Amino acid sequence: MESEDDMHDANDVESLDDDFYSGDTDDAPMDYYSDYDDDADDYFDDADKVESRRPEQNFTILKESDIRLRQEDDITRVATVLSIPRVFASILLRHYNWSVSKVHDAWFADEERVRKAVGLLEEPVIQYPNARELTCGICFDNYPRARIEMVSCGHPYCISCWGGYISTSINDGPGCLMLRCPDPTCGAAVGQDMINQLVSNEDKQKYGRYLLRSYIEDNKKSKWCPAPGCEYAVTFDAGSGNYDVSCLCSYSFCWNCTEEAHRPVDCDTVAKWILKNSAESENMNWILANSKPCPKCKRPIEKNQGCMHMTCTPPCKFEFCWLCLGAWSDHGERTGGFYACNRYETAKQEGVYDDAERRREMAKNSLERYTHYYERWASNQISRQKALADLHQLQTVHIEKLSDIQCQPESQLKFIAEAWLQIIECRRVLKWTYAYGFYLPEFEHAKKQFFEYLQGEAESGLERLHQCAEKELQPFLSADGPSREFNDFRTKLAGLTSVTRNYFENLVRALENGLADVDSKGASSKATSSKNAAGSSKGRPGRGKGAFRTSTSNRMSDDSHSHRTSMSGRMSDDNHHSHWSCEHCTYVNVRSATTCQICYQPRR
Amino acid sequence: MSGIARGRLTEERKSWRKNHPHGFVAKPETLPDGTVNLMVWHCTIPGKPGTDWEGGFFPLTLHFSEDYPSKPPKCKFPQGFFHPNVYPSGTVCLSILNEDSGWRPAITVKQILVGIQDLLDQPNPADPAQTEGYHLFIQDLAEYKRRVKQQAKQYPPLLL
Repeated sequence: MESEDDMHDANDVESLDDDFYSGDTDDAPMDYYSDYDDDADDYFDDADKVESRRPEQNFTILKESDIRLRQEDDITRVATVLSIPRVFASILLRHYNWSVSKVHDAWFADEERVRKAVGLLEEPVIQYPNARELTCGICFDNYPRARIEMVSCGHPYCISCWGGYISTSINDGPGCLMLRCPDPTCGAAVGQDMINQLVSNEDKQKYGRYLLRSYIEDNKKSKWCPAPGCEYAVTFDAGSGNYDVSCLCSYSFCWNCTEEAHRPVDCDTVAKWILKNSAESENMNWILANSKPCPKCKRPIEKNQGCMHMTCTPPCKFEFCWLCLGAWSDHGERTGGFYACNRYETAKQEGVYDDAERRREMAKNSLERYTHYYERWASNQISRQKALADLHQLQTVHIEKLSDIQCQPESQLKFIAEAWLQIIECRRVLKWTYAYGFYLPEFEHAKKQFFEYLQGEAESGLERLHQCAEKELQPFLSADGPSREFNDFRTKLAGLTSVTRNYFENLVRALENGLADVDSKGASSKATSSKNAAGSSKGRPGRGKGAFRTSTSNRMSDDSHSHRTSMSGRMSDDNHHSHWSCEHCTYVNVRSATTCQICYQPRR
Repeated sequence: MSGIARGRLTEERKSWRKNHPHGFVAKPETLPDGTVNLMVWHCTIPGKPGTDWEGGFFPLTLHFSEDYPSKPPKCKFPQGFFHPNVYPSGTVCLSILNEDSGWRPAITVKQILVGIQDLLDQPNPADPAQTEGYHLFIQDLAEYKRRVKQQAKQYPPLLL
């Protein structure tokens, strides 16, 4: 296996060995050799496993049956505590957006007021104690008492008019959950008992559906999974700062903004980026409309110099005039050219052209910068989709085949799915780091460099892992029988999975504390940097210039923080002669350097 | 509730004949062949005494659908009727006549007509339905009142 060597190039041999052979992490690759007792493990279990690496899970995925169960439980609780019928409890909860505690608070504060507002009357407003026949308030016909129904208010309507009234309301939408008595001045609520008694099965089902939806949609603590076609809901317990939620349908999204999961990048950056992508596509269109295809090879050409004499890039090399797209050979003096195109020269001399050109240049630069990040953002997205498909293919087709060929139980092949899950997660993180990078201010040299370093490390790790999972598995799938190399492949893939996970954990951690580590690079101590991180994590790059400068000058003047004291202490003794500390970013450079290695500021 | 529209309207008619507010008229349309069409009622609403609307007897037509009383009837003044809450077509815009909000099947014809009489002198500026009436009501109350009085004269009592 030649690529075994490729893997050990670059500078990560150490870390690979560290992680791989020390075996001190909880989920070290050695785990793959321990027995998996549960053969029925499916994809979802894998997804859970990835999830469970996070310290605590602050959300719950609810299937429809779970939702019903919870809703029933809440209704029962309220009914029991307030000693009211379950129908009343349901109406109350709907009114207070399914918050049990709000219902309790409001009810015990002023029961009478709540009853009035919600429409749960204690006594009927009209009574017909002895009437054998009553007049329906809708059709005005007289009916025997048995064919008349009423809610808590006592207004009498015949059962067919009730049915029509309720069914009309159900077919008008979820407003039927707040249905009141048909009397124009009466606020008495109509509950599910009436619905179940009086309307068709179809309407009952619709009503039930609205009630279920309301439990998720009107409840601040729950939302539907936004994935198309997914019917699961999520409840979320606020508290930790982590908004990532992954549904049983395998879609991950941000609870806060319901965009797809974008940890470690914050919601604001994501919103800005998504907006920019949609706005920028129009910009792209403009550029497309304003670039011209080479008259010979038809590749789009954007003019990058002032001269109208265009030369298409090799292999075409066609020379033509930007203005008329005619061959340049027709334009030279020899051919008596310049015909109509020379009007342009006049414009250029008058300065009209230069301004326009400069503007175009600026637009082009900013667009190029955006395109750089966008392309990488988008291609990671595409890679992720491909990886999802590959994982699916693996689980539905390949794993069984591989198990046969290599004579290994499927439980022993879980490391491959683990690798794919890691790839999928990493592609997602990597993708969003490009949005982050786009908004990282240019002048934050140290942060930018640190970020790009971490991103680069993570990315190259991921590329190796992805390559290994994608390409190196193939030979074993087409082999005739068990290969001895298969164990090497297992070791390598599991190792790469673990290494890549570490790289990405570093990247995520660094971005989540706003790249605060560079602020204290000079102290070069992990402990201090994490302390520093806690303070500035909220700031994020957006806080920008002010924050950065302030912290730098603080460091010069204010020695109250322990790590700063220790830094100046170190500087004054052992580091003093062999190193110099950058005034700008405080990085401790070797003496021979004339500019700071981190921020490129000249030595003062 | 389909199919009960006619039954209910028959009952409405009965109850109206037994008792109705003074000055109001409400009766189902009579077709040229002499038969009665219960689904369209021709009504008259008197302007309230003591208001600028006094002296006017305003013709209003109620169009009931087969969905009545699940759905409210459509209530129309003559086209171009001057009032902030009446559409140029003459259709009245009133909360209790809106099937999405205020309508309840137990609202009677009598309640509708009295409700519209109230609306005449108490327009709802939050829900304008025509430009002219609304703008005058907001910007030039004197001219508005003049137009209201003028319109009242256009609709004298029919049987005088």
